[in-house]
Amino acid sequence: MPTTKKKKTTNQASTVGNISVSVSDAFLLHFLSGLGLAVSFWIASNIYSINLISDPIQTLRLLCIIQIPISILLHSIFRHNPKQCSYWKAVVRGVVGLPVGAILMAFGAVVLGAPVGIQFMMKTLYWSFLMSAFTFVPAVCVYGSSWMDWQRLFAYTKPIGVLDYIICIPAHGTLIGAWLGAWPMPLDWERPWQEWPICVSYGAIVGYMVGMVVSMVFVLVLGRGQSHSKRE
Amino acid sequence: MAAFGKIEKWRLIWPFFLIFLIHCIAILFFTRGFLLTRTELSSFSNCSDISESPCFQHNNQSSCWTKPAIDRLVIIILDALRFDFVAPSNLFDEKKPWMDKLQVLQKMASQEGSSATIFKAIADPPTTSLQRLKGLTTGGLPTFIDVGNSFGAPAIVEDNLLYQLARNGKRVWMMGDDTWVQLFPDHFNKSFPFPSFNVKDLDTVDDGCVQHLIPSLYEEEWDVLIAHFLGVDHAGHIFGVDSMPMIEKLEQYNVILEKIMDILKNQSGPGGLHENTLLLVMGDHGQTLNGDHGGGTPEEVETSLFAMSLKNPPASISSGHNTSHMFDDDGNKVRVSSIQQLDFAVTVAALLGVPFPFGSIGRVNPELYALTAGTWNQPQTGATSCKSQTNVEEWMQNYANVLCTNSWQVKRYIDIYSKSSVIGFPSEDLVHLENMYSQAQDAWSRIQKSQLPGNKATNGSCYTSLNDLQQQIDAYSNFLASVTELARSKWTEFDLTMMGIGLGILLLSLVIHLVVIKRANKLQYLSYPSIVETQFSLRFISALFVVAIRGSSFLSNSYILTEGKVASYLLGTTGVINLRYSILRKKMPIEAFAFLLLLLTLRLANESGLTKQTVGSLLMNTFFVSVFGINDNHPIWIVIPEVMPILCLILLATLLYKTTAGNYCWRFLKYFLTVATCFSYLLIAVHWVLESNILATPLLLQGIGRSFIPRTIYTIGFGLLILLTVAKFLDKEMAVNYTESILIKTVAILSTWSSTVMLIMGRQGPFIVLASAIGGWCIIRLGILEKKTKDGSVGVSAADPLPVIQWSFLAVCLFFYSGHWCAFDGLRYGAAFTGFDEFNLVRQAIILFIDTFGVSHILPILGAPLLVIFNYPKHLSFRERSGLLVNLSQVLLIYGLVTSITTTITMICVTIQRRHLMVWGLFAPKFVFDVVGLILTDVLICLSSLYYFPRAVSQQDQI
Repeated sequence: MPTTKKKKTTNQASTVGNISVSVSDAFLLHFLSGLGLAVSFWIASNIYSINLISDPIQTLRLLCIIQIPISILLHSIFRHNPKQCSYWKAVVRGVVGLPVGAILMAFGAVVLGAPVGIQFMMKTLYWSFLMSAFTFVPAVCVYGSSWMDWQRLFAYTKPIGVLDYIICIPAHGTLIGAWLGAWPMPLDWERPWQEWPICVSYGAIVGYMVGMVVSMVFVLVLGRGQSHSKRE
Repeated sequence: MAAFGKIEKWRLIWPFFLIFLIHCIAILFFTRGFLLTRTELSSFSNCSDISESPCFQHNNQSSCWTKPAIDRLVIIILDALRFDFVAPSNLFDEKKPWMDKLQVLQKMASQEGSSATIFKAIADPPTTSLQRLKGLTTGGLPTFIDVGNSFGAPAIVEDNLLYQLARNGKRVWMMGDDTWVQLFPDHFNKSFPFPSFNVKDLDTVDDGCVQHLIPSLYEEEWDVLIAHFLGVDHAGHIFGVDSMPMIEKLEQYNVILEKIMDILKNQSGPGGLHENTLLLVMGDHGQTLNGDHGGGTPEEVETSLFAMSLKNPPASISSGHNTSHMFDDDGNKVRVSSIQQLDFAVTVAALLGVPFPFGSIGRVNPELYALTAGTWNQPQTGATSCKSQTNVEEWMQNYANVLCTNSWQVKRYIDIYSKSSVIGFPSEDLVHLENMYSQAQDAWSRIQKSQLPGNKATNGSCYTSLNDLQQQIDAYSNFLASVTELARSKWTEFDLTMMGIGLGILLLSLVIHLVVIKRANKLQYLSYPSIVETQFSLRFISALFVVAIRGSSFLSNSYILTEGKVASYLLGTTGVINLRYSILRKKMPIEAFAFLLLLLTLRLANESGLTKQTVGSLLMNTFFVSVFGINDNHPIWIVIPEVMPILCLILLATLLYKTTAGNYCWRFLKYFLTVATCFSYLLIAVHWVLESNILATPLLLQGIGRSFIPRTIYTIGFGLLILLTVAKFLDKEMAVNYTESILIKTVAILSTWSSTVMLIMGRQGPFIVLASAIGGWCIIRLGILEKKTKDGSVGVSAADPLPVIQWSFLAVCLFFYSGHWCAFDGLRYGAAFTGFDEFNLVRQAIILFIDTFGVSHILPILGAPLLVIFNYPKHLSFRERSGLLVNLSQVLLIYGLVTSITTTITMICVTIQRRHLMVWGLFAPKFVFDVVGLILTDVLICLSSLYYFPRAVSQQDQI
């Protein structure tokens, strides 16, 4: 399947990279990521009978265990410059990038007001790894340390091409979702999910999924636009 | 050239004054509608008034309104006495360390044959001491507006219990809290007041109380003795409820109360001094676990009242009343009941046999009234022929008669109040009350008639059934309850028209504000035609968005409670946006990162308790234990809090030197200023070293350190301020270095204020001020970054709102990080006593004001020009000069706009939430703080516009 559509996106190849990404690839990628999330929630509730509220640490750990490999392995397929960069190099890049992203996420969270202390350390750790798997790891697997690409995606927010969309939009969705997810925390409803990092994790996951859907929409529109231009 | 001709000072700064004026008017209107006032009537109750009442019987000439039931009364007030301090712990879900400490009270309340009862006394908000004392003595509902007088404690002019006591020959002695003497300057025969406002002092008032109380109990020269202890309140304010000092205080009280009871009991025999004495141990209000009070939460309004009569009434009393029995841990019955604090004044008046205070709307509480033996063996009222009545019936008859008087008095007050007050009660409610009253009265006169010896219609038997009496009592009680309900709604009822007008004017001022900003933009445009009008960039939108979110967060009480966190969350978000921009422009990511790091440091420092007044105490250690698991009492944890402020001071002094060194304006004055400020800093350091207990300093030196050094610093600060003002007027219009001139002016005024502010804020001061300096620097740098890239040449553009908003948010965050919050107990009263030990209203209020608003209003607004001048080169052409001034006015305008938008939204939220449970606890204090902040911001903006703007720019062109 990828080969058939490959032709259509070759005009993007110069900017996106040597591996071009078709709409169906993007769909598959997102589908697998979403499936990973669903599976981990299913395992959590049916096998271990835990959820984010009752046992945030275990659930976040489970989510990490499932989501991180999916993220690294899948995104490494679409790495930039596949000629110079082997698949395993991209995987290693992702593995190295994971803790770096996690540190950034944890720093951001603490600056914005996440509680600090021993009892929160594990929660913050797993949460930041999950966040990193949603945002930092895909970018690092695909673009490596190419500052230009990072700047284009995260500072200018000007994605070009399918690959940019499927990385940039879910990542932004995750961040915005987590940001919004923090809002109910100070309310005096005294619900267990108002604890750090439960609602922030929910926000991030919802944001990620919304981001995936939105990016798919963009990719479809873009794909159609490109096919039009191809015909003309 | 003529197009932008000359930009005169007044042309630029008159809008500030206009806006200030409009804000004042708007706030005046809104406050009139929102902060309710009650008309105080100047009428007093007299003994002879009773003859007008239908309950009047001609045969009891000896007594006044009621027959005195007790001879003497001892009132012991323990300030901020929570209900769970007194009540047995098994009433609550969980036994906490502070419960069951006043065991002597529980023991008495469980003793067989004793009348002692523990009441849950429910106070009306606002639960501040002054309001409560006023409420307790007048029997009315003091309104929130009185809170403003709390510092001044003006004498009560209304009719009150103490006035009645003094008038009717009762001798009252008072000891303890000096608020009483301020409220009742000449009602006491003897008083031993002790200063109450030094919250750090847990013992002076209590020790003084005990010292005078115990001997007084053996004396004969008083009828009513009031002792007001403050230790628990102060311990709560400083340490919180769950703390050792609190428990120690309670244990101390237990010993004191035991002693008092022993003395009273020993003399309670027939003919003894305390044969017929009533002892009341009560709180004026409760407190939250943090030791705060003022609001309307259950913790704050539920206080306790312990009553014990030394002459026990007949044993049958406790039956028939709704006194419930609780079992304590040993299985003893403890009598527990509840009472409205509103009923206190009238019940005590009835017990002592003095006229009820004119404005009282309370009801004589049956349980408290029945507690004393005196109410049981009263001579037959009116119908002496009925010999068949049982004890209970007799008592009920008597009580019904008291209620009759009670209802008559309340009715009289309501009638006169609605006649004399501008905004009386709604007429339909009045008619309803009228009906209730006349029905009850008719029934009562029927009962009384049936008892008259001459009336044979009831077949000789003057038997009035218990049922009838109970119904009668219920009828009166219902009437009184409806009055209370009406009064509560009335005196917490808002004048919506006034509020609407106020809000309308405020919204209008926002429009004017925007128009003025637009005009400034146009002026800017005239000076720099190259600049495009402000586009709606992401920065602009995010700035707007952040202000809007902060505003709408005030709708929820939870967000107001965590306002500091919300502000820092938003500030952090703008910091992240900045980081994004600096990566985008590939410039100064270090500043952006440093800004985030600074926020983190501030937060951690705040959480570690560095900013609490008790630096280096337990709190710090427990924080590190709990957070990092470091558990050692290593001296380093004691030394760090002592050394850090001094390090910060040194850094600040270096910073000041660095900024002034390269400046060529005000040569002479500059050196003088630097030296004076550094000297102040040195003095502050010396002051703290002397104050700390690391070095063993001689006592004399400590004394000097405590009072002399702070006063010197205040004097230096004040002197410098005057010097700067004079210099401003003498200053020949800034010569060459326009930017430098404004810079030096800003630095001068900031350093002048900084020493005073830091001293008052205590050891956290240097850290907070240094943090604000670094934060400000990052904001300025990042702001420049944005401008420089927009416009290649000189860094001038239509003022970018984001730095100004960050500046304003940083100020808000610093307010919270420096240990304040928007409540009256969030004021750091302890700080008001830096340099002074004795209380002086004006002086302490000024110091407290500087402490509260110093770092959040005074420094940021006076420092606002810094946001502008770093954009400009040292030497400016005429065009650039006027550009700079316009820019400066824009910054000040936007800063003012942010504050007024926030305040407007606060007002709107307060209006929406005016029926909220927490309206007096959270919304009203928040409103007051915001309004004061807005006015202060306006005043400071006006002052700094006068200070910074030169008379006219055009002159410079010719030189």
